[in-house]
Amino acid sequence: MRTRISTSHPRTSHPLRVTALSIAAVSVGAVLAGCSSTSSRSSASSAFSAANCKGGTLTVLEQGSLSEFDPARLYTSGGGQIPALFFRALTTRDRVPGAAGDTVVPDLATDTGEPSQNATVWTYHLKPGLKYQDGTAITSADIKYAVERTFDAQLAGGPPYLRDWLVGGDTYQGPYKDPKGLSSIETPDADTIVFHLRKSEGGFPYLAAMTQFAPVPKAKDTGTQYADNPVSSGPYQFAGYTPKKQLELVRNKYWSASTDSQRLACPDKIDIQSGLDATVINQRLAAGVGADKYAITTDTSIGPTQLAQLTGNKALASRVITGAFAETVYLAFNTKKAPFDNQLVREALSYAVDRQAVVNAVGGSSLATAATTFLPNQSALGYHPYDYFPAGASGDAAKAKQILAQAGYPNGISVTLNYENTDDDGDGPAVATALQAAYAQAGIHVKLAPTGTDSDAFRAVVGDTANEPGLSLNTWGADWPSGAPFLTPIFDGREIVQGGGNFNLAQYNDAAVNARIDQINQITDNTAAQQQWGDLDAQLGKLALTVPLYFPKNLTLFGPGVKNVYLSEWRGTYDIAVVSVK
Amino acid sequence: MSTTALTAAAEASQEPASAAPTGPRALWRTLRRDRAAMAGLVVVAALVLLALGAPLWTAIEGQNPYAYHDNLLNSALGGAPLGSFGGIGGAHWLGVEPQTGRDLFARIAYGAQVSLAVSIGATLLQVLLGVGVGLAAGLGGRFADALLGRAIDLAIAFPYLIFGIALLAVVPASFPRPVLLVVVMAVLGWGGTARISRAQTLSLRTRDYVAAARLGGSSTARIARREILPGLAAPVITYAALLLPANMVLEAGFSFLGIGVRPPTSSWGQILSTATTWYYADPTYVIVPCIVLFASVFGFVLLGEGVRKALDPRAANGSG
Repeated sequence: MRTRISTSHPRTSHPLRVTALSIAAVSVGAVLAGCSSTSSRSSASSAFSAANCKGGTLTVLEQGSLSEFDPARLYTSGGGQIPALFFRALTTRDRVPGAAGDTVVPDLATDTGEPSQNATVWTYHLKPGLKYQDGTAITSADIKYAVERTFDAQLAGGPPYLRDWLVGGDTYQGPYKDPKGLSSIETPDADTIVFHLRKSEGGFPYLAAMTQFAPVPKAKDTGTQYADNPVSSGPYQFAGYTPKKQLELVRNKYWSASTDSQRLACPDKIDIQSGLDATVINQRLAAGVGADKYAITTDTSIGPTQLAQLTGNKALASRVITGAFAETVYLAFNTKKAPFDNQLVREALSYAVDRQAVVNAVGGSSLATAATTFLPNQSALGYHPYDYFPAGASGDAAKAKQILAQAGYPNGISVTLNYENTDDDGDGPAVATALQAAYAQAGIHVKLAPTGTDSDAFRAVVGDTANEPGLSLNTWGADWPSGAPFLTPIFDGREIVQGGGNFNLAQYNDAAVNARIDQINQITDNTAAQQQWGDLDAQLGKLALTVPLYFPKNLTLFGPGVKNVYLSEWRGTYDIAVVSVK
Repeated sequence: MSTTALTAAAEASQEPASAAPTGPRALWRTLRRDRAAMAGLVVVAALVLLALGAPLWTAIEGQNPYAYHDNLLNSALGGAPLGSFGGIGGAHWLGVEPQTGRDLFARIAYGAQVSLAVSIGATLLQVLLGVGVGLAAGLGGRFADALLGRAIDLAIAFPYLIFGIALLAVVPASFPRPVLLVVVMAVLGWGGTARISRAQTLSLRTRDYVAAARLGGSSTARIARREILPGLAAPVITYAALLLPANMVLEAGFSFLGIGVRPPTSSWGQILSTATTWYYADPTYVIVPCIVLFASVFGFVLLGEGVRKALDPRAANGSG
């Protein structure tokens, strides 16, 4: 249930003239085999220049994105897109084209954190001269307070890691009920903050990029009302806000580019409109008329029916950024429930799956890549290719039947598939129906069981260990580009949450695997750690605990007047904080 | 639709029913002379044949409505069918569905079963309910008439598309959808028939032959059955004939909104719902089901109009 809320930053230090197309394409091509990127800059009359990009109004057309702006409740990856315009955290994602875009860099802090005691203690120092929108100084105590707020039950909604990782986090109730604070967060002086974790977490710098680490001045905290007008630490501040409809951002005059290497903050104003239909957004961006000439979107990809328009129109095709957010759509088995406790049955379903039909059902090869691994095909996550139960493009029904017979079902088998009853998220009826048709050929009779009309209603059933169905259609995304948050909640036996909210849908608990996860978490060298996560995924793949189906792709349009548009590897689309309209 | 039908049926009921052609044979004779009605009948007959013979036709075509065909789609173009006109050809008479490659002719033929079954079922149930309530109101006492009359007003005034959406959304997924559709459409759409039946009953109960029957000792139930019901036939049949196509459109509407029958069962509304976004990339996929739905509804309307005219004494006299 990782929500993607987008944020972005520009990077002042990178090449002034960004021909993002070629840069992105080369670096991506080198790194990502399955995920090609063909982005191009609009051939506007004047080239982009970071020194001379200030001015104008950027329009942002969104389907959602404007429902929550409390830094405690936001669930972002890398700080999100829109939230990062007014929330600065200790770290943030690197706003450069290419593979480096998957790395974490300092934001409010001077570095990405100094680990000690086996990565259980993390120390950060704040940059000098940081200010809020009212001109008051940002202190380490504000960040401590902001993190503590996230523990209040009324401000729940953010990622679960803080509660799990911080010493005493499991019992702390938040600063309103427990004003003494959390003793595992120390602020020895106004510029220093120290976090004490109960276990080694080499990935802490990635977590520190989330909005939960954005400072909240205690004097201005209005509890649950804070979301309506949060105090900005970034380049923009609220000027007008109607939840779910419209947000107008203007410059925060106390923000200084000298303390922020990540946000270019080119437009003077940003006008965000929400509640729009995906088709409408794409049509408006394609037409690029009036204010839409300077429009972008952070949450809408081109749909399958609009692809034909791109092939005949080079100018339009040059206004598309192709990328992928690290995400996998997969079939989850509950191995505590017959017949999926039998590995052979799970293997049969792996062999019989028709991935081509699934990919077509969600928009074809331009919008999805068939997946045989659980970990997405991105090197930043330690991708280690494997295909233990080769199904070919359209499924191997004969092999599946043979395995089923071996498992004791020579006459086939009947199973029920639970899925979310909407196609909005790419894991609904269209995919379920495609699976049903392919499985029928292998003697696997699938009964369709639509469960809930949105992901919350679906999760309420599937995430409940006691009532979890045997077979369900799910999506899992990366909280940050690393194998750790991708694999741990799914395969760590200690992450099985009894009652509701469970993500380890296989209910798989192996002491050796749990120990291995702890070992990798101690590694602070990111490249080495990712390699190990990839190996772990390849090892778990042999057990057929899931049937990976596909990795989604994004094709994001932008208006003809928008400049400095390039792919952010982390987000899988362009970054709102670096684009310019001048 | 229902308002005009109401007016039409009300007109049909203004003259004594006995003046209109009586019996199916007389009706058929009048209908046969009406070219428009005959054209409608041909279309309706073709539709019924298409629906009833769906397994046969698709067997001749060599397809079934559920099989996916990855090889007939251009995956890079969002899963649009390969070839011109949505993949129309000898193997796939009406082309294939984008993104799945399922045979469109087979989907439409099997979809016709759902469309017809639901609209006929709903119409029958609406007529049954409507005539029952109308008779009760017309023959009951003043109190019963006032009560049932208000209920009829309520049923007619009800925003039933909205209420239908709500009802269809809350019923558990395990309940068979076609049956649910029939029930929901009938429960929400009986008002028109009831109003016509009540008005006709009120006018018939003052006739001499009804009074004679009452004096002869007939019970109210017997009077309703023997004396009133035959007189109701003309306006009610007329109304039902026009109600049927409206129900067909409504079923498509519910399926279009995603609350009708569930995938992989085919339905016209569902096909139209996915087709709308394909108007640019695969226009055939939009045009074909639209033509089929239009032709069917038009056929039923022509036929219904013919029946109305045939049962309308003034029209009968005029053409006589």
